Amino acid sequence: MKKCFPILLLLLTVSLFFLVYAYSQEDMRFINAEAFENPQRPPTVFNHDEHNELAQIEECNECHHIYDKEGKRVEDESSEDQSCSDCHEPKASGRKPALMKAFHINCKGCHKEKGKGPVMCGQCHVRRPNVED
Amino acid sequence: MAEPAKKVEEKKIIDEGLEMGTEKLTQDRIENVINRVLKGESGARLKAYVDTCIHCGLCSEACHYYLSQDNDPRWSPVGKVKQTLWEMIKKKGKVSPDFIKRAAEIASTECNLCKRCAMYCPFGIDIAYMMLVVRRINHLLGVTPLYIQDTAHSHAATFNQMWVKDDEWIDTLQWQEEEAQGEIPTLRIPLEKEGADIMYSVIGPEPKFQAQLIYQAAVIMDVAGVNWTMPATPGWDNSDMAMFTGDNEIMGRLKRAHFETAARLRVKKIVMGECGHAFRSVYDVGNRWLGWRMPPIPVVHAIEFYYNLLKEGRIKIAKKFEEAVTLNDPCNVSRGGGLHDKARYVVNAICESLVEMHPNREYNYCCCAGGGVINCGPPYKMKRVEGNRIKAEQLFAAKARGAKVLIAPCHNCHSGLEDINHHYGLGMEIKFIGDILYEAMEKPA
Amino acid sequence: MIHFKRLNDLLSRKYWAPVSAVKEHKGEAMNTLYNFVSGPLAWVAFIIFFVGCLYRLIRILVLVHKKEKYIYTYMSWKYSFRSILHWVIPFATVNWRKHPVLTIVTFAFHICLIITPIFLLSHIILWDESWSVSWWSLPDSLVQAMTLIVIGSCIFFLIRRLISPEVQYVTFASDYIILAIVAAPFVTGFMSYYQWFGYQVFTILHILSGEIMLIAIPFTRLSHMLFSPLTRAYMGSEFGGVRHARDW
Repeated sequence: MKKCFPILLLLLTVSLFFLVYAYSQEDMRFINAEAFENPQRPPTVFNHDEHNELAQIEECNECHHIYDKEGKRVEDESSEDQSCSDCHEPKASGRKPALMKAFHINCKGCHKEKGKGPVMCGQCHVRRPNVED
Repeated sequence: MAEPAKKVEEKKIIDEGLEMGTEKLTQDRIENVINRVLKGESGARLKAYVDTCIHCGLCSEACHYYLSQDNDPRWSPVGKVKQTLWEMIKKKGKVSPDFIKRAAEIASTECNLCKRCAMYCPFGIDIAYMMLVVRRINHLLGVTPLYIQDTAHSHAATFNQMWVKDDEWIDTLQWQEEEAQGEIPTLRIPLEKEGADIMYSVIGPEPKFQAQLIYQAAVIMDVAGVNWTMPATPGWDNSDMAMFTGDNEIMGRLKRAHFETAARLRVKKIVMGECGHAFRSVYDVGNRWLGWRMPPIPVVHAIEFYYNLLKEGRIKIAKKFEEAVTLNDPCNVSRGGGLHDKARYVVNAICESLVEMHPNREYNYCCCAGGGVINCGPPYKMKRVEGNRIKAEQLFAAKARGAKVLIAPCHNCHSGLEDINHHYGLGMEIKFIGDILYEAMEKPA
Repeated sequence: MIHFKRLNDLLSRKYWAPVSAVKEHKGEAMNTLYNFVSGPLAWVAFIIFFVGCLYRLIRILVLVHKKEKYIYTYMSWKYSFRSILHWVIPFATVNWRKHPVLTIVTFAFHICLIITPIFLLSHIILWDESWSVSWWSLPDSLVQAMTLIVIGSCIFFLIRRLISPEVQYVTFASDYIILAIVAAPFVTGFMSYYQWFGYQVFTILHILSGEIMLIAIPFTRLSHMLFSPLTRAYMGSEFGGVRHARDW
């Protein structure tokens, strides 16, 4: 235990330093992952405005979609006033995908379709978002 | 890397059979024969064994040769496959005559086909089978150690292992009958008795130089009141060295003659003497070659026969053998036939005390004589004896715990252990179960 | 579990990593490659794996049928399973007891090797997205610990091959290659999970090496996965039904 102490102290100091540093960054955004119980991966790095600018998205409902009871997508309506988790529950019900799958389809599906944007797990679930991936 | 000094000491063994056979080899013939066996004769088993082996070496410690040679890996079961079969497969049969000679040496004199390694391989790969495939190739190439080949020739010519002539056989039986009549005047050795319950069969060496074993067997049969017979024709010998040289055709002829003799005499069972390899031949290997899943006529090994006689009370014990004994479980009847518990019943019934050697039962170490190795003769005697130091150690340990007499219910074990006994100065007396049973049983006064 | 979590946190460094804006996503070529290896190539690998395994099994059974039909007559369910059961339980056989360290390593290795890829959440998510099939998953922290077990075991096997004379004597280049084929998906998967450096490269290598392993299973000695139950069952049947002896 005695031997460990200096190492622990050093670790603590370093982590404190980084933590302070981390919280001072304000332009950082993550997808809200509070709805997930016991998430296995770090929350998705996502800068809303930067993303839309790069992707040239004008309409909110490109992502914030609404589906009717028959499972048809409703044009001209959007759901940006709600949380994704308001509709998508942790488990799938009927044709409505579970929350996690909904995220994945919504983001990755589009990225794959357009051939642009991240597609690998760790490109969105970034562990140390300062490192160039 | 410095090789251990003993390699220098290792004497080059000259075997005329191997030398002369090798001289006659041509590259074409080697290639043809190997591919004929690998692709033609063998099938899924060999393929699965070769493709499945993960080269883990876990079979090594199963082998008495490996353990006795200071864990030298070239003596390990898989090491022997590497030096023989893998190379033949890899080179698609294009191996040199000298390679074939070395392969014959390995397969015929460095492996007893005891199958102990099959119990140690996590995948149950049967290396003894692979060594037999190598022996088969050697047989077809005419490269087989001289002495065992001579024995196989004897089988082919006389249907017995020891060139015993037909009249000599009958003479010997009558001689033993007369001898035994000195003890029990009414005793007979019934020849050619059709419809007897049991045909008693022995191996060639018994009439040749161990005739007292026939005497003892006759006394046991007589006292127990068994309705038995022995054939007066070829087919009496259950031994089979052709099985060990890879000469399957001769093996088939021998076993057919043996079973047909029993069928001709219309017996219910064949009872055999205390022999291991013959049991393997009639119970496991030869019958299969003839297309029988199990022997066409039930085969009862001496151990089981004695067990039944004692259990049914047909033989009573007058005085148990007093000296402490230890029991060597022969591979072919224990690992090959599960008779180890019956052997213990018999030994406990006729002896005062049994000191177990370790390991024992189906885990026992091979005697290093079986599988045709002792039959490869004098050139390989020291290799065989030194190749089983572990057996000497095992026996010394049993001796230290009081064992004075070593029971070996198998001819090969008997001879092999006798050599080990002398070489290592073990000082144990070696006996068959029958020797002791004969002494201990109640006989008419 | 607590230990796995602590290890995981320490390795991921997520509490003390400096956080800043992610750089604009680059490397479209990498993504194309990723889409290729995780899409068509994955299909190819799975098809070769399943068809290859089936082919090998059917071929060996046909060969038995053609040349060694007698094998069927000796097969017994009872003795096959008696033998297999002894050998799939650690320390239930003499030889497992003789090699305690190897036994622990080999069992841990094989269990982790099979469980890890099947119950890893990221794999399940990908299968769910592709085929809409999913099942329960293990926590990532546990899976990472199991990955380390596989990698550690591979190192153990490598060292054993190098220094143990009886293993070294029967070792060929192919033995190192199949060991590498097995280790590679786990090493790259581990690197990919923690994202220390070269994330995209490791992810692509991870998928690629996984596919190589799948393809290699039916056509290398990794096929012991298919054949060892058969060889064991046959030996078990012979020992049980004919030899009346234990084969463990």
